[in-house]
Amino acid sequence: MTYVTVEKINKSFKGQTVLHDINLSFKQGEFVTLLGPSGCGKTTLLRILAGLIDPEQGVIKIDGKDVTHVKAKDRKIGMVFQSYALFPNMTVAENIAFGLKMKKLDKAAIQKKVARMVELTGLSGKENSYPRELSGGQQQRVALARSIVTGPKVLLLDEPLSALDAQIRKNLQKQLRAIQKELNMTTVLVTHDQEEAMAVSDRIYILNEGYIAQSGTPHEIYTKPVNEFVARFIGNYNVFKGEELSLLTRGTEFPHKLYAVRPEAFTSQMIDNGLEIIGKVDKVMMLGNVTRYELFSNGVSVTAEHLHKSNEDIQEGTLKTLYIDKKDVISLA
Amino acid sequence: MKIKRPFYHYLTIGAVLLYLIVPLLGTLIYSFSTQWHKTILPEGLTFHWYKELFGDSVFLKAMGRSLILSFGATVLSLVIMVPTIFSIVVYAPRLEKFIQSLIVLTYAMPGVIIAVGLIRAYANSGISMVVVTVGAYFVGILPYMYQGTRNSLRNIHAVSLMEAAEILGAGQFTAFLKVILPNIMTGILVSSLLSFSILFGEFVLVNLLVGGSFETIQVFLYKKLNVSGHIASAIVVCYFILICILSVVIVKVTRSKKETV
Ligand SMILES: Nc1ncnc2c1ncn2[C@@H]1O[C@H](COP(=O)(O)OP(=O)(O)OP(=O)(O)O)[C@@H](O)[C@H]1O
Ligand SMILES: [Mg+2]
Repeated sequence: MTYVTVEKINKSFKGQTVLHDINLSFKQGEFVTLLGPSGCGKTTLLRILAGLIDPEQGVIKIDGKDVTHVKAKDRKIGMVFQSYALFPNMTVAENIAFGLKMKKLDKAAIQKKVARMVELTGLSGKENSYPRELSGGQQQRVALARSIVTGPKVLLLDEPLSALDAQIRKNLQKQLRAIQKELNMTTVLVTHDQEEAMAVSDRIYILNEGYIAQSGTPHEIYTKPVNEFVARFIGNYNVFKGEELSLLTRGTEFPHKLYAVRPEAFTSQMIDNGLEIIGKVDKVMMLGNVTRYELFSNGVSVTAEHLHKSNEDIQEGTLKTLYIDKKDVISLA
Repeated sequence: MKIKRPFYHYLTIGAVLLYLIVPLLGTLIYSFSTQWHKTILPEGLTFHWYKELFGDSVFLKAMGRSLILSFGATVLSLVIMVPTIFSIVVYAPRLEKFIQSLIVLTYAMPGVIIAVGLIRAYANSGISMVVVTVGAYFVGILPYMYQGTRNSLRNIHAVSLMEAAEILGAGQFTAFLKVILPNIMTGILVSSLLSFSILFGEFVLVNLLVGGSFETIQVFLYKKLNVSGHIASAIVVCYFILICILSVVIVKVTRSKKETV
């Protein structure tokens, strides 16, 4: 059963269309990510969902109700802004309580809910601090607590972690996902970080220049990119023209225009019925637990990645043979 | 490390300070002196002039009138301009250019021309010139109120705060009252104090528009200049102390604001 549907949303600024016929649909409790490069329209789409801007066309339904023309304050939505937008004149507890006060809950109920949220988001001991006295990660958690304490139907997150450093970010991703699961909160996350999208989402929508380029589970998107943009954006895929592949594999026929191959699909072990590529190793790079390098063959370069193994020595300038399974060569429409 | 400053630095700074302080000091001493005509230092010191001044009901009334005019215009500006500037910054940022050119206009007009224009326009209209003066003051302090309010709104990212509050279920009015106003309070207070002290010292408009019919402290001072230099000095000293107090309050408020941001 779909819980949120977005149909044919169009939006333009000053005559320039930034969203073209956007369709989304997701179930209750799903964690959905809008992924795309900077300027592709992610924030605009999220703000339309929140009711902060009106689309020129299209319908938004939440929980069976058409909310296209419902004001932001009545949409029962939670939102975490990239800048957090915490209220500087209020303490952590007051910030979290704000939405509940607007709902006119009684004091005891507010206190109870706030206390639970403080615990859930790991903010114990900070209840009476002001936002300026908190670290970035803590501010982020206050923003999250403030937006979910009211029990919104949908939680919207606009690049909530992008201002934080890598370590805290990974940690918060895990916490965010755990909290989302515990509350079974339907969540839409906006990000331009494909790793983050892969790590937390049930479903990903990839946006490119205001169009949806592809949607699916992280696994589907990673293993079956449907076009060049997705292949390049999502996994550093090698994208080859048909004739380049024929050159690389010395004669095998590739009738389609474009093909994509994941860098880690190449192996040094012989594969039955596989394709063979011989070339010169160049640009070896250690990326922690993987080694990435390029292989030049017949004027075409291939990027390959292997898990780092101490017994396998990859030397620049030497010749190397790589094998690839035919099913890992994905034809792009 | 201590940098050695050349002697002439102290000399110039000292000269400037002297230039600024000597007239004030002279005024202060003059207001306390019995006679100071033929001697280098006053012949004697006395509180007489202050006693006379504060015993003079005309002075107290003039003080009251000045306070009413300046305070009235400032409060009027607070009540009308703050919500207006808020609406423009948050909901109609395109209008900002328009407001800015309006504000430049208020600088472009010399006070005398404004006064003459206002007298021509309103003298026979039945509207009290006191009201006209408050109106003119309202326009005069527009630049300070606008700058102060707009900067405070920008500093706190008022647009995002409003959006956050609305998504949490607050109406526009509630959001303004509970979220925006408390955060721009210090900024507004500073602009108001500044506006107030500027108006309190304004002479050209008030003298030409209401003059003797609604005698303010400025006009009173002007009259006293011809009667007794000692009393005029005492007025100036009182005025100066008042402005000093206001300045200290402004600095204090700004400081505490810095600590909270
Ligand atoms: N209020 C506005 N007025 C005019 N153009 C706008 C406005 N808001 C967004 N745009 C334009 O719409 C396009 C999409 O903007 P949007 O903020 O949705 O991008 P984004 O995907 O969120 O990018 P980022 O990852 O950098 O945040 C951009 O080209 C932007 O310039
Ligand atoms: Mg954005």
